[in-house]
Amino acid sequence: MEARYLFKRLCYCGLAFIASITIIFLLLHFMPGDYVTFYLLEISRTTPVEVIEHYQHVYGLDQPFLEHYVNYVVAVIQGDWGYSFEYRVPVFPLIGQKLWWTVMIMVPSLILSTIIGAVAGAWSGWKRGTKGDMALLSSMLFFRAIPSYWLAIMGLLVFSCLLGWFPLGGYMSINALFSGYDIFDIIHHAALPILTTTLLSLTGTYYLMRNSMLMTLGEDYITTARAKGLKESVILRKHAARNALLPMVTMIAMQCAHLMAGSIFIETIFSWPGMGMLTFNALNMRDVPLLQGIFLMGALILIAANFAADMVYPLLDPRVEESMHE
Amino acid sequence: MDIIRIKNLNAGFPTKRGLVRAATSVDLTIREGECLGLIGESGCGKTVLGMTIMRLLQPNTIISGEIFYKGQNLLALKEEEMRKLRGKELGMILQNSTTSLNPVLSVGDQIAEGIILHEGLRKKEAREKATELLEKVQIKNAAVMSKRYPHEFSGGMRERAMIAIALACSPSFVIADEPTTGLDNRTMKGVISLLAEVAKSKSMLFITHDLAAASEICDTIAVMYAGEIVEWGDVDEVFSAPLHPYTSGLLNSLPERGFIAIPGSSPSLIDLPGGCRFKERCACSEERCARAHPLMKEISSSHKVRCHRYD
Repeated sequence: MEARYLFKRLCYCGLAFIASITIIFLLLHFMPGDYVTFYLLEISRTTPVEVIEHYQHVYGLDQPFLEHYVNYVVAVIQGDWGYSFEYRVPVFPLIGQKLWWTVMIMVPSLILSTIIGAVAGAWSGWKRGTKGDMALLSSMLFFRAIPSYWLAIMGLLVFSCLLGWFPLGGYMSINALFSGYDIFDIIHHAALPILTTTLLSLTGTYYLMRNSMLMTLGEDYITTARAKGLKESVILRKHAARNALLPMVTMIAMQCAHLMAGSIFIETIFSWPGMGMLTFNALNMRDVPLLQGIFLMGALILIAANFAADMVYPLLDPRVEESMHE
Repeated sequence: MDIIRIKNLNAGFPTKRGLVRAATSVDLTIREGECLGLIGESGCGKTVLGMTIMRLLQPNTIISGEIFYKGQNLLALKEEEMRKLRGKELGMILQNSTTSLNPVLSVGDQIAEGIILHEGLRKKEAREKATELLEKVQIKNAAVMSKRYPHEFSGGMRERAMIAIALACSPSFVIADEPTTGLDNRTMKGVISLLAEVAKSKSMLFITHDLAAASEICDTIAVMYAGEIVEWGDVDEVFSAPLHPYTSGLLNSLPERGFIAIPGSSPSLIDLPGGCRFKERCACSEERCARAHPLMKEISSSHKVRCHRYD
């Protein structure tokens, strides 16, 4: 791999990170309401203005915009992501801890949805226009149209309430208090959120793969492959699918980042203690440092995923390697 | 002995606007060792004819007639039997080498594929053979180039690679579909002399609108117009004494023969005119040309024409 290409990509990543910090900071700075007002008014409707102002000063909420921004950027770069108002712990370890729970749901979902989506999409594109393709296409359309919370609730209703196959929520049984962590117990709790998320992210992958496959099948090199007398299954795997997969790389990277941010709906409905639920709570309490940290982590993951996609591309497409040398 | 005998072949594509009749009652014979040049304007059905022989047209194409290869009717074969002939007995050099090579596979691998399949060689042996083939089509530094990808090849080299793919399993019949289109003059000459070399040892259908290339490579010429063969004959006879007004027109449009274009344009293949299909553009059309469709008439054993003037 060309060192210059790597360096160039890394510079882009750095730039993207600085831009993300700025945008996140701006957005949250102008969000109405702050933690102190929110919290104090909850305790008593008649809190005097002086008290509110005092606490705003204590929490550093009265800093001038520019000073606040510079302080924040410097701190982030030094590795200090701030202190959560609500949880009363440093933001970074808190996010790290919650991220693992999200990873537990999202990584299996990502793998499953990518494999199933790509295989189903490739098959559908290959068999375009047939009854099987049409049936698959319409059912994907159906799942695409369902809102995630509805699907999650229906999943709970059918598989947990009626059939009793899975627990209703949470991440481990009450028994865990006595017997300690049990990996199978956690998997049992994670199964339904994983399946729901898989089903939801599957459709996008399927569509892109099917479309990409349709484009590829019209290419002349597919005719060349047929003229060689190759078997259809070989043409599908070696010639069509491999080319059709190329646009998928970026899509998978994006989906990976998107999923790692956690789904607020899925995690709230399944009471899963991941990033989605953390975001929900932080938003509710106007916990700005925590929100900043969460969004920053999302941006970091997105940048990293994109970087990974950039690194994988040359391995799949020799034409990209060429442009790397330029 | 005839290697290819096409009898009353019709090919049409159903579209919303109607049936596109790309080939109408085509009768053609190619003898063992012969190279037949198929010439005509773009869209006259040349490529369709080549693809029909290979049975590579989309499944909804309506095809009737018979194509005998060494006595067996290709159109009656099961798809699996046909597949086994492709690449092994029937080789094809497809139009447009830029898009006809897979961008993500090395050229050597694309040549080796067919060899592994039809000759049962191991990957390593097949790759060695691919390198030999690249040498044979005069690609310099073949061992290195065989590991390279199509985008690293020049236009002429890609065309040579396409030829190598078609020849990989030494088929007895090769279809070359406009292999010189889009190449600059010098590169084209190289590819033509390579094809002339190939034509010496194989039976070939050479589809082109490059008349000079056809006269250099081919033994016989068939002229196609609006889906029909309008003239067939020995290459020298057709080029020195063309019988059909369309053939004369094609020859007169060559720069060295005056650059005179044939007026008008080919009829739509959906809505073909009755009578002679060339009559609108023909300088010598008569009343009967509109009335009756001319039949192929044998002038001599080496020359046939479809024109009322020879009735």
